[in-house]
Amino acid sequence: MEAVNIFTEKFHNIINERLGLVLLESTKKEGKCESKSAQEPSDTDGNSCSYCQVQFADLQSQREHYKLDWHRYNLKQSLLSKPPLAEDEFNEKTTNDDLSSISGSESEKEDSLDTLAVAQGKLFLQNASTTVFSIYKCLIFDRKEDISDDLLNPRLTKCTLQNPQWTLLMLGGGHFAGAIFKGNEPFLHKTFHCYTVRAGQGTGQTTRDNRGQGGKGGPKSAGASLRRYNEQGMVQHVKDIVENWKDEIEKSSLIIYRAAGPYNRSVLFGGSNPLLDRTSKKLRTIPFSTRRATFTELKRVHALLATAEVYDSLETATKIYALQKSPDADLKRNRTRTSCVNRAKSREPIERPLPSTLSSTSSSDEDLDEEITDLDIATIDVELQKEQPQQLEDSILEVVYETSQLEDLQEFGDSLTPEQRKKPAKKKSKPKKSKSKKLKEHEEAKRKELVDFISKGDVSGLEKLLANHLNSLDEGVDKEEAKRSFVNQVLDENLNTLLHEAALNEQNDILRFLLDNSADPCSKNKAQQTAYTCTQSKEIRESLKQFAKENPEKFNYNKAQIPVNALTEEELAEKRKAQRKVKKEKEKEKRKENEVKRKEEEERQRFLNLSDRDKRALAAEKRIRDLSGKVITRCFNCAADITGKVPFEYMGNVFCTIDCLKAHRLKGPILLS
Amino acid sequence: MALRAQFENNNEIGCFAKLTNAYCLVGIGGSEDFYSTFEGELAETIPVVHVSLANCRIIGRMCVGNKHGLLVPNTTLDTELQHIRNALPDTVKVQRVEERLSALGNIVSCNDYVAIVHPDLDRESEEIIADTLKVEVFRQTIASKVLVGSYCVLSNQGGLVHPQTSIVDQEELSSLLQVPLVAGTVNRGSEVIGAGLVVNDWCAFAGLDTTSTELTVIESIFRLNDSAPSKITSDMRASLIESMS
Repeated sequence: MEAVNIFTEKFHNIINERLGLVLLESTKKEGKCESKSAQEPSDTDGNSCSYCQVQFADLQSQREHYKLDWHRYNLKQSLLSKPPLAEDEFNEKTTNDDLSSISGSESEKEDSLDTLAVAQGKLFLQNASTTVFSIYKCLIFDRKEDISDDLLNPRLTKCTLQNPQWTLLMLGGGHFAGAIFKGNEPFLHKTFHCYTVRAGQGTGQTTRDNRGQGGKGGPKSAGASLRRYNEQGMVQHVKDIVENWKDEIEKSSLIIYRAAGPYNRSVLFGGSNPLLDRTSKKLRTIPFSTRRATFTELKRVHALLATAEVYDSLETATKIYALQKSPDADLKRNRTRTSCVNRAKSREPIERPLPSTLSSTSSSDEDLDEEITDLDIATIDVELQKEQPQQLEDSILEVVYETSQLEDLQEFGDSLTPEQRKKPAKKKSKPKKSKSKKLKEHEEAKRKELVDFISKGDVSGLEKLLANHLNSLDEGVDKEEAKRSFVNQVLDENLNTLLHEAALNEQNDILRFLLDNSADPCSKNKAQQTAYTCTQSKEIRESLKQFAKENPEKFNYNKAQIPVNALTEEELAEKRKAQRKVKKEKEKEKRKENEVKRKEEEERQRFLNLSDRDKRALAAEKRIRDLSGKVITRCFNCAADITGKVPFEYMGNVFCTIDCLKAHRLKGPILLS
Repeated sequence: MALRAQFENNNEIGCFAKLTNAYCLVGIGGSEDFYSTFEGELAETIPVVHVSLANCRIIGRMCVGNKHGLLVPNTTLDTELQHIRNALPDTVKVQRVEERLSALGNIVSCNDYVAIVHPDLDRESEEIIADTLKVEVFRQTIASKVLVGSYCVLSNQGGLVHPQTSIVDQEELSSLLQVPLVAGTVNRGSEVIGAGLVVNDWCAFAGLDTTSTELTVIESIFRLNDSAPSKITSDMRASLIESMS
């Protein structure tokens, strides 16, 4: 494949000859189709199928045949003007692949290379000397035009050879870029940008206004009105530019534009006096996606459009295009996968092997052979010097043997293999490692001993160990410091200290001993637990608390999570007693209240059971009884106490609310006076 | 009896009407003249119904049916379907078909016993056709054209097919369908038979442009007139032979 600029001489030579369209995956038509008409059945009683070219004995078999998949397949074949398949051929085919082609209207056309080419807006053309090349269809035909072979040559020569002047206009997102190219060179160009599209939101202002969101006429913000104003300005600006270039645009053979969306199109084609004639034969759209309208993008688009891909023959074209097709899809997939690198997170360092010192270390067979031949010559020389008559046809085995002797002779040759060079270094490091290991083992043993003592609760053993440790130290070392470090040492991989160990094993004596020997209760293990929190034992906790109380200034007990100002047992008991007392009193009060309530309720019930007459009598009775003016009255319906309130009343019956009155009235017979 | 008719100055009456042995559907709207042509001829025997499908008048191309049933496309509205069900006899089953090829009249051609359908028709639709219309379904093309409903008109008596159908194809088809077939035209040479002609067992309506010759072919192949040449050999045969013996 070769990319050829369509303005060059080379391309002109290609298109000099007669051109024709080619399909990449056209199947050659075979002569079988014609045989269909030639092979007409001799007896014409109609008991046959001309699609499958079979004869039937009777109507029944014919009808059955018309329902077979085989017949359907051949029917389709005939519609595609392809030869029919015989029954056994068809059976073979169906066992091999699926029946999708005959399953009815659901079958979809799969993507062929030709449909892909159409989708990419490309045309594959072939000249008389069978050179195949692809160019963008938009150079020759309008989008809606039918492709015809006759128009190919004149149009292509016109836009490339006779008049290589193209106008490119791009408009979108407030960006405008326009240029007029003569051949490959732009001789007029202009780009500008207006603020018409809100950055965060996207869509241009008029599009948004027309969408009808944010009330009638779109949003009323300052930015919106600014963008509206800019849009009008942009139309004017584009108009000025295009009007300036009018003569050159008239002269150019193609006007290629991109104006996505109704607003951008209206800039070019809208208005009473449109900038470009919509019906112009020169007008084309850019057949691929483009980036922001800039001058570099214009040049890129022009370069892409002005490039023809030339292939030697149709087969190579098909092959290369098929290759182009598949990696493209893969690329897309890969891109999406690799693009999501989270830069906020630290990444694992990638370990790369260090370059080896000798290139020959990867001693492939070939290298070895070469070496042997080199040595071969050397041995021959040596042998000649020694004047030992030997035949030149020595076997390789012998030569190899001799090379091993020669190693000593080569003074400056690097005869060591990297493995050999590594070996001594390893030997040196080995004793060191073993020393540290021994030390480690020693320490491990010591720790084990400690853990042993603690778990057994052997205070004296621990004391002895501590004394030994202190004695083994040199004179100059601070004893107190050494003791502290010994007591607070970490015992296992969970970062448990001696104190933790003691707490976990519930060895109170050990714990006390450790605390007296300045063990730190604040130290935490891996699970962020202190000695106090790592155990559930009450005894241990109590002793830790006790220690905290005795030595209030020694450690930060908040950090050690030991509750310092917690109450003692006696104090707690006292508190609980007081609480109980209060509770009892409260209960008593409640009982009293309940009693009162119950009495009230009983009275109310009694009152409700009385007839109205009795109620009235009762009221009167009470009135008489409490002559002091304090009238005790009750609602006649719900018996609520309404003393001192102004009651609702009718016919001498009194009520607390109007609802009660209504209910009462509805209950009894309505008395009309 | 073959008649000429016109729908609002349009000769493609097959688009606006559907005629079967049990009912006749006529597109709604337009001049009442078209409707009365059908009604005057058919009203005594079968119901003639004003119908629209998916608010379209081109019902002849949208639906397919025979005396057993009627199939309408899935774009048909519920109210339209209800109206059709109310107007047609109870013996006629009305059903909607979920088929990608929605112009059923163009892709299916049938009489009361057989149907030929578009080769790409869905298998499910094929089954529905067989069940509802009680026909045997064959996938076939007519003169290498897949729109069998447009290029062929069938009745129980005979059939008219696209003028370019080869003799071999005609013979095969006629053997398959068990009716005589003839290649011909309507509307002064139109090859779109289905659009220019509606037919049942005793009556045919063709576009107003149909020539006398075309009408004669139609009458003879669908056996609509009593003076067909076949009469002599079939109906009059007995009496002739009796008198001669």
